[in-house]
Amino acid sequence: MLICDEYLTPASLDEAFAAMAQHRGRSRIVAGCTDTLPWAREGRAGDVNIPVLIDVSRIPELNERRVDERRVRLGAATSIQSFLDDPALARALPAMPRCAVWFADDQIRVQATIGGNIVNASPAADATPCLIAHEAEVELAKNEGGKIARRRMKLADFVQGPSRTGLADGELLTAVECDALPGYGGSFEKVGHRRSLVISLVCLAVLVKLDAAGHTIEDLRLSIAGIGPRPLRLAQVEQFLRGQALSAGLLEQAADMPAPLVASRTRQEYRREVVRGFMLRGLINAAKRAGADPAALTPELEAAYG
Amino acid sequence: MVDFRLDAVINGRKVSRPAKPSQRLLDFIRDDLNLTGNKEGCGAGECGTCSVFVDGVLMKSCLLPVAKAQGARIDTVESLAKTGELSVLQKAFHKAGASQCGYCIPGMVMAATAALRINPFADREEIKERLGGNICRCTGYQKIFDAVELARDVQNGRLPASALLEEDYTDGDFIGKNVRRLDAPSKVSGKLKYAGDMTMPGMLHVQVLRSPHAHARIVSIDTSAAEAMEGVEGVITCADVPGEDGFGVFVNDQPIMARGKVRYVGEAIAAVAAEDLVTARRALAAIKVEYEALPAVFDAFEAMQPGAPVLHDYAPDNLTKHIPIRVGDVEKGFAESDLVIEETYSTQAIEHAYLEPEAGLAYVDHDGVVTVLSPSQNITHHRHMLARIIAKPISKVRFIMSPVGGGFGGKEDMIYQGMLALLAMKTDRPVRLVFTREESIVSTAKRHPSRTTLRMGLTRDGRIKALQMKMVCDGGAYGLSTEGVMRKAAILGAGPYAIPNVQVDTYGIYTNNTPSGAFRSFGALQTQFATESHLDMAAERLGLDPFEIRRINAMQDGGFTHTKQKLGKVSLTKGLDALEKACGWEAGPPEQRGATRKDLGRADTRPPVALGARFEAPGKQEAAE
Repeated sequence: MLICDEYLTPASLDEAFAAMAQHRGRSRIVAGCTDTLPWAREGRAGDVNIPVLIDVSRIPELNERRVDERRVRLGAATSIQSFLDDPALARALPAMPRCAVWFADDQIRVQATIGGNIVNASPAADATPCLIAHEAEVELAKNEGGKIARRRMKLADFVQGPSRTGLADGELLTAVECDALPGYGGSFEKVGHRRSLVISLVCLAVLVKLDAAGHTIEDLRLSIAGIGPRPLRLAQVEQFLRGQALSAGLLEQAADMPAPLVASRTRQEYRREVVRGFMLRGLINAAKRAGADPAALTPELEAAYG
Repeated sequence: MVDFRLDAVINGRKVSRPAKPSQRLLDFIRDDLNLTGNKEGCGAGECGTCSVFVDGVLMKSCLLPVAKAQGARIDTVESLAKTGELSVLQKAFHKAGASQCGYCIPGMVMAATAALRINPFADREEIKERLGGNICRCTGYQKIFDAVELARDVQNGRLPASALLEEDYTDGDFIGKNVRRLDAPSKVSGKLKYAGDMTMPGMLHVQVLRSPHAHARIVSIDTSAAEAMEGVEGVITCADVPGEDGFGVFVNDQPIMARGKVRYVGEAIAAVAAEDLVTARRALAAIKVEYEALPAVFDAFEAMQPGAPVLHDYAPDNLTKHIPIRVGDVEKGFAESDLVIEETYSTQAIEHAYLEPEAGLAYVDHDGVVTVLSPSQNITHHRHMLARIIAKPISKVRFIMSPVGGGFGGKEDMIYQGMLALLAMKTDRPVRLVFTREESIVSTAKRHPSRTTLRMGLTRDGRIKALQMKMVCDGGAYGLSTEGVMRKAAILGAGPYAIPNVQVDTYGIYTNNTPSGAFRSFGALQTQFATESHLDMAAERLGLDPFEIRRINAMQDGGFTHTKQKLGKVSLTKGLDALEKACGWEAGPPEQRGATRKDLGRADTRPPVALGARFEAPGKQEAAE
């Protein structure tokens, strides 16, 4: 049971920092609360007494988002559901709707925030690999002598391990910025014990850009989570595939490459098999959505993994 | 704690009243506004029976601190239709028989309402996905999806409104007719009150202190600090039991609260009744228990070895129950066999996971009758046990069975009703205990984990000549239904097959694991899993079709069971015939299957798991791609 004496909903960043300073050491920042409330239960943290909860989800700046042809800026309180509801976001982040549809369930993703998913730093966080594939950076703000100071950090560096991030004392994650990749085909592959409300055993984000003929891989982005302490960008595979002509043989070769990266605490053999299947399925799905020439992918491969 | 004023519009009415910062929206609507239609099933966002609309968007109210509802418009299941009326979806749930225990149904109806508002043309696959955040344990979901499709088609005019009307029985003829549940309207509307929905004036809230140890001697329990706390009205331990302590289904080996020692993690040690839940939780933390750890045993086979830790003085060999069955001479049968197969099978503990966690309300009425209301699956037996435990005549003990939000055997045990009775007697006020999901899982009975060694002898033509079975079950720390489960496992273990020589032994063993108890099929699953798996292997070795080997051995009309019960009519072969036809069986021995099977990739076979029906959905496209 989560027990608090005060629940504050600051209306601005200044108010939030004032509350954080006033209740330093006896408060916790919350946004969607979709992880905090289940955390404060038997079997996890048990009964938790936090004198002050500071809910930052209503701060206007944290709810702003900007999208253009090159960049996307997401306020930290952006809900996961936004990637399904906002056509501009879906266009700029083509794998994100596919990720969102696997994220928790229809109800929780209305409430869950992108900032919370990142700060939570789960090795199996669903949104993080997608954002890493977009070269995301986080914006971290703190109050320095009455002024708000901001710094940036690559998301891939910010998430350091299970529940460990680069967030410093007194800092708040205010926004995520990343590449807009309109025209890319996106896919998100995930497996767990069931379809809804499940923690990923493995999840993979794939973004593919093809030439006009749908033959050559001009660019691609791959990021994976659930196979080790933190999400990884698969840079080597990206390098191997970039500039190559799409073919079943090429994808099969690429699919074998990430297996040695599997370093999870449990079920490594299973995950290696899943990773191979996901690489094929993810690349095929993303390539198809990027306008791949159907002749480039053998029907057998597509039937097995598409 | 700083209360704040919550201003919101709830079910169309303005609400402006104090709320506590620790409350969740679910607590506020249920406890403060007495809108109990939406339930709590898990408290962790997993089950969805608490789903409500917040500004028109469906959310899980157990994950919402109430402050998040400030200024919002909240609609609960009570908002869907006026009292005495049902919405189209609720009528469709009634028509399709989509409610069983009913505990998940308010949330299901809400999720279905949300799904059809977002996409009035959602196909079945999309409906499944949109209801993915809601769990039902009884129905298997198909009738729920049927109901949503029915409502969709009526709303869209594809079906007339009369499709929702009942076709009730004609001339008292019920058999083979589709008769609608009488209690469904109360379930689909959220009107039905389960134990956790009930309150009484002056009611106290109960919480239970549970053992962190699997096996330990209790050196001392000090409840003085808890009793001294403001708002705490009563604390009980085993010392408060006035009569003969002990309950169970077959053997009364479990005390209401641990007496002298604890035997499993989660066993009740003390209970507190306080003015509110938070005070009760804090009082639990103030109870000091000193333990002396004892060696524990977690495996039934280890518990059977000489020198293993002993749980109960009366059972020095840790044996709860042994059931033997002997028919003919198995050694003779094996000698006559052409093929003898031996294998060992194991099954695991399984939680019932009914959507309604245990809950109960107790009070002492004006005539001094100790009254316990709970979703007990066995109130008469509980009543007799409780009378003995609290040393009162049976006329002064009353049990009321509240609607059971799923039981499956898991609510047969009187594991908390005794504590409620004692606290009602001690405080002279109504008391209520509502389990959390975690508490329900840690403290209540599970399906017996088993290990079965099976030896079967058959002749070349597939006839079973002998069956020898030994099953050892982990009964956990207390007896509960173990004796009956062993009995049923033994009686039904050799299956519905005529076998001349049978030797079955089932053993229920005490260990320091969570007690095992009743669970659908009551032991038959464990032994029959072994027997049926074995028959498939035998079919393979003998080159027989799996259906055929079962027909060859099926008990016949007028035959006898292994325990000499005369059978009038046996419908096994009729069932096998129907099953074979329905499943599209490819005849032949099992090892032929696979390479020759032709059903893979067919339109009606299941593709790999995927999500995203909404991206290809007819009607409204949600995401721009």
